[in-house]
Amino acid sequence: MSNALGAVQARKQAPQWRWPLVWVMLLVVSVVGMPAAEPLFHWIEPDARQVVYDRADFYVLLGRHLLVVGIAAIVTIVVGVLAGIAVTRQRGSDFLPLVGQLASLGQTFPPVAVLALAVPVLGFGTLPIIVALMLYGLLPIVRNTLAGLQGVEGDIKTAAHAMGMTPTQILRQVELPLAAPVILAGIRTSVTINIATAALGATVGASNLGDPIIAGIVNGNMAYVLQGALTIALLALAVDSLFELLQRKLHSRLSAP
Amino acid sequence: MSLLDAMPTPRIRWKGRHPNVVLVSLSLIMLVAFWAFDVVSMAPNRIVSGTGYGALEAFGWPGTLLATLLLVTIGVVAWQPSHRHYRALIVAVVLLMVLMPVGLIASSYLLIDPELPQARLGLGAAYWVVLFVLLLCLIEIRLRLNLTRFWPTLLLCGVALVWWLCAALWLDSLALVQEYNARNQLFLTAIGQHLRLVGIAVSSSVVLGLLLAMLMRRYARLQKGAFAVLNFLQTIPSLALFGLLLAPLAWLASNVPFLAQLGVSGIGTTPALIALIAYSLLPMVRNTYTALEEVSPDTLEAAKGMGMRAGQRFWQVRLPLALPVLLEGVRITTVQAIGLTAVAALIGAGGLGTFIFQGLGQAAMDMVLLGALPILALALVVDASLGALAEALRPGGAQ
Repeated sequence: MSNALGAVQARKQAPQWRWPLVWVMLLVVSVVGMPAAEPLFHWIEPDARQVVYDRADFYVLLGRHLLVVGIAAIVTIVVGVLAGIAVTRQRGSDFLPLVGQLASLGQTFPPVAVLALAVPVLGFGTLPIIVALMLYGLLPIVRNTLAGLQGVEGDIKTAAHAMGMTPTQILRQVELPLAAPVILAGIRTSVTINIATAALGATVGASNLGDPIIAGIVNGNMAYVLQGALTIALLALAVDSLFELLQRKLHSRLSAP
Repeated sequence: MSLLDAMPTPRIRWKGRHPNVVLVSLSLIMLVAFWAFDVVSMAPNRIVSGTGYGALEAFGWPGTLLATLLLVTIGVVAWQPSHRHYRALIVAVVLLMVLMPVGLIASSYLLIDPELPQARLGLGAAYWVVLFVLLLCLIEIRLRLNLTRFWPTLLLCGVALVWWLCAALWLDSLALVQEYNARNQLFLTAIGQHLRLVGIAVSSSVVLGLLLAMLMRRYARLQKGAFAVLNFLQTIPSLALFGLLLAPLAWLASNVPFLAQLGVSGIGTTPALIALIAYSLLPMVRNTYTALEEVSPDTLEAAKGMGMRAGQRFWQVRLPLALPVLLEGVRITTVQAIGLTAVAALIGAGGLGTFIFQGLGQAAMDMVLLGALPILALALVVDASLGALAEALRPGGAQ
């Protein structure tokens, strides 16, 4: 009996893994096999001598891109969620209106402008793009953490309190699990936007997947632009579908009896 | 009363009064920044990076004392806030903002050697931090006093006017002003181009978005496919989309003379506009669709009961009720387009991004600021004014 149930569940879960796997595979294939596709790019750009970007290997560029986005994501998740938790506690509730306003205001800062303002302070290189990504990615996370924690019903918290839970226990065992889907959605938005925005770092001397695009625009070589754009789009789709998978898992865990 | 209300509230109390902790800590941050960081920097010419000066050297004793007193006042008044004290706080904050360019004038007399005509004054970290925190103070006071956005915006416009006057009349040595004076004609053209690109992109995406949303409401199968395509478009980095449009458009322009006559070319405005519209469509269509769908069926039923025809129901009931959410979409789209147009400068579309990328290329940071600051200001102004419009159009009017 339990075997049959398990089989049904396994069959249901199989398609969930399909899209993330497809995108990750495509990403790996495109990164490793980019030089092999040279004839194809020759057909796109017949006049150019060089058709495959070769100043750095694509997996190196991909690694740097992931590193930049990853560092920014870790910092923003830690800071954003902690800030969201802090201002929804009673001790920090004085800061709640300001932080809420700031979270909605922050979306109006264009990433290019943030990047341009970070360069005079931090100089050229990888640091300004990480800072710009952190500033830009922080606000969706703070906003969603606030929305998620405020969306937990007061009755549930009261019940937890009446059961003898301490405020820390209420936060960890009641509020955060209930707010997790909304917080995760914020993290997904933040990371997906940042993968695309990180390409701008190539304009301030940070080497990543934006490099082929900039080189292609400057030299008028469409093949370079295509290679950079394809890899970034595949990366964004892969990460996005992984987040979707995570959200589904979370959802099924929360709604399980 | 719930149990949580009965729990002891651990708040900071002082002699029974209830201090505004936010403003007090903001005031402390400003004091620390004012005394610890460089207030201004002075460079003998455009290329050399400047040397920083603290508050005492830049403003002299009287100016430093005045600024410190005002900053302390904000903290002290916020210890026991009342309605009247909040109004006094607004005055203090606005006074500080108005005094900021005056301080720069003072330091240009104190620091700049008249023998060096190329010498230029840059704004130091303390200036930016204090300005940013003052804006936060203003937001906090607005929230505490429950003011609408109108009065703070008006005050900020006044402050901006004072800054503009000071910059135009007395601040020739400020690096930003020097960069502007060197290319004021170019700057105005760039702003014009920027606004034109954003205007065309947003207005066409409003029309296209409305059409697409109405088609989606009619043909449900279209909805899934269209959203999938638009979602996919958003994952392509803006930089790449701009680049990818270069080749096909250049090919079209060289092979179809009619299109070339229309101004289609691989570089410049056309690819920029296509990419901008493509990006603008997703937020626009999503909000338009939700706005039209969210109108309560009861209201529409009532309109039907009153004998309204389908067209009347759409134009006189559904659309007006959907307008605030629709405007929210226009706001998001416009703010996003203002930022993306800056990237379009890379493919020769002009606009304020030109200064950013030229400045980055020449390592001339003041030129980067000349491009970035107006973009930021533009985004904030559009955000505030469209937000206020949406608030005013909400059924029942502004609250």
